[in-house]
Amino acid sequence: MSALAAADVGQLLQLVPVQRAGVALLVAAVGLPVIGVVIVGLDIMPVRFAMMHVALLGIAVGLLTGLDPMLCALVACALAGAGVAPLARTPDGLSGAMGLLMSLAIAAALLVLAVSGVNAAGAFSLLWGSILSVGTADLWLLVALAVVVPALFWWRRRDIALLLYDRELALSSGVRVDRLTLVLLVLVAVSVAGAIKLTGALLVDALTLLPALAARRLGRSLLSITAWAVGIGVAVNLTGFLVALRFDWPPGPVLVLTAGVVVLAVHLVPERRISSWRAPASASLPSSH
Amino acid sequence: MEGLDVRMSGVVCRHGRVEAVRDVDLDIARGQRVALTGTNGSGKTTLLRAVLGLHRHVAGRILVGGRDTGSAAGWAWRRQACAWIPQKPATGRFPLLGRELLASGGARAEAVEAAGKLGVGHLADRPLHTLSGGQLQRMYLARAVGCVAAGAGVLLADEPTAALDFSGQEEAADVLLSLPVTVVVVTHDRALAERCDRVLEMAAGRLREVR
Repeated sequence: MSALAAADVGQLLQLVPVQRAGVALLVAAVGLPVIGVVIVGLDIMPVRFAMMHVALLGIAVGLLTGLDPMLCALVACALAGAGVAPLARTPDGLSGAMGLLMSLAIAAALLVLAVSGVNAAGAFSLLWGSILSVGTADLWLLVALAVVVPALFWWRRRDIALLLYDRELALSSGVRVDRLTLVLLVLVAVSVAGAIKLTGALLVDALTLLPALAARRLGRSLLSITAWAVGIGVAVNLTGFLVALRFDWPPGPVLVLTAGVVVLAVHLVPERRISSWRAPASASLPSSH
Repeated sequence: MEGLDVRMSGVVCRHGRVEAVRDVDLDIARGQRVALTGTNGSGKTTLLRAVLGLHRHVAGRILVGGRDTGSAAGWAWRRQACAWIPQKPATGRFPLLGRELLASGGARAEAVEAAGKLGVGHLADRPLHTLSGGQLQRMYLARAVGCVAAGAGVLLADEPTAALDFSGQEEAADVLLSLPVTVVVVTHDRALAERCDRVLEMAAGRLREVR
């Protein structure tokens, strides 16, 4: 039975769309969890929902004007990311802004769709990708993200670490906070919108947010969190994909569930480790507590 | 005498409709050590934050080293010229290591050396959120030493000894007052205030000279 199943997976892996999906997931696991680290660090978890709606608005505008709808969607997301950047000045500004953005974008999208007479479901379907239908161009986009995002993180690691720790400390350390926040938000917005198109909306969480949430508990610094996020992303994607192939289940839910199990597991495990970090501190300088 | 002078004229800071700082005029000569005292909520922290551009609703004029801040480059210069020890060091949304904090002042080696003298050198590889309040305050003080080594001419210290024990307060005061810069220190610590050249008091947003 298991030999037969293994052979099935082996045969499936001979298929070009399956091979491409596997490679896409592997490449996505390098770039997208790093984006997830920014999402967690800037506390903008609802960004995926906000970008889905902004992208829909972009598609609606594209359909109305005759321009490429997906290009319009990406530009709309980039502009929305840049537009909310000034709200990062207050601690809760960005998380609230994502909710506002979501509401405004869906209202504007529905209005534009109604005015243009385009079917809303048809517009939405343009946004819905699947990992098994990833094309060569999509794959290259994921490769570009896998190179650009970690490279930016490495290049600006000091500034990003300070910004994600405390905006005011970053400011007083000479970090151009407004510019860096803008770049990060545009990158997040475009990556999330692009990933929704490439992999489907559900899978975006498994690829971005969930590895970062698990890594946030395991890492002790920005670099170690980022490394954990990428490692967990690769492990989850490979495991989830093989399980999905083995049982002939849809990859999206299997990958999300696999990543979710990892997040739950690390939330149970590392508490003891965190406590053990604190113990020597209190022993060394008890009077300063 | 080293350091930079600080001049304020007609400075008003608002928190919404509330005037936290009212019409403050102040001249601090280079190298002077000034203690800023006063009750909680009298506007001391807001005034210090206004110098760094961290408080946004500010009217009036603040010059450091004779320079105003009209542009992003102007603010960049100001923040490099003024080392800052915050009142409540952020515990952070994301982990930051002690050595990353020390390096952020611009002179890693000097900050690490100061951290060693202040008894927190061995905590450099620990995330800041795992440190106690006193340890964190010593780390920020060591960072400020690094800022001065990197060229800052003013130190704005906001209750830098509040979380320290008695010997720690004295040690921190020694470090603060030995720096070759202009020092403005918000404090409730009488011993520290006594050691400063001038003592100012804020009450309901207004500033008066005590000594």
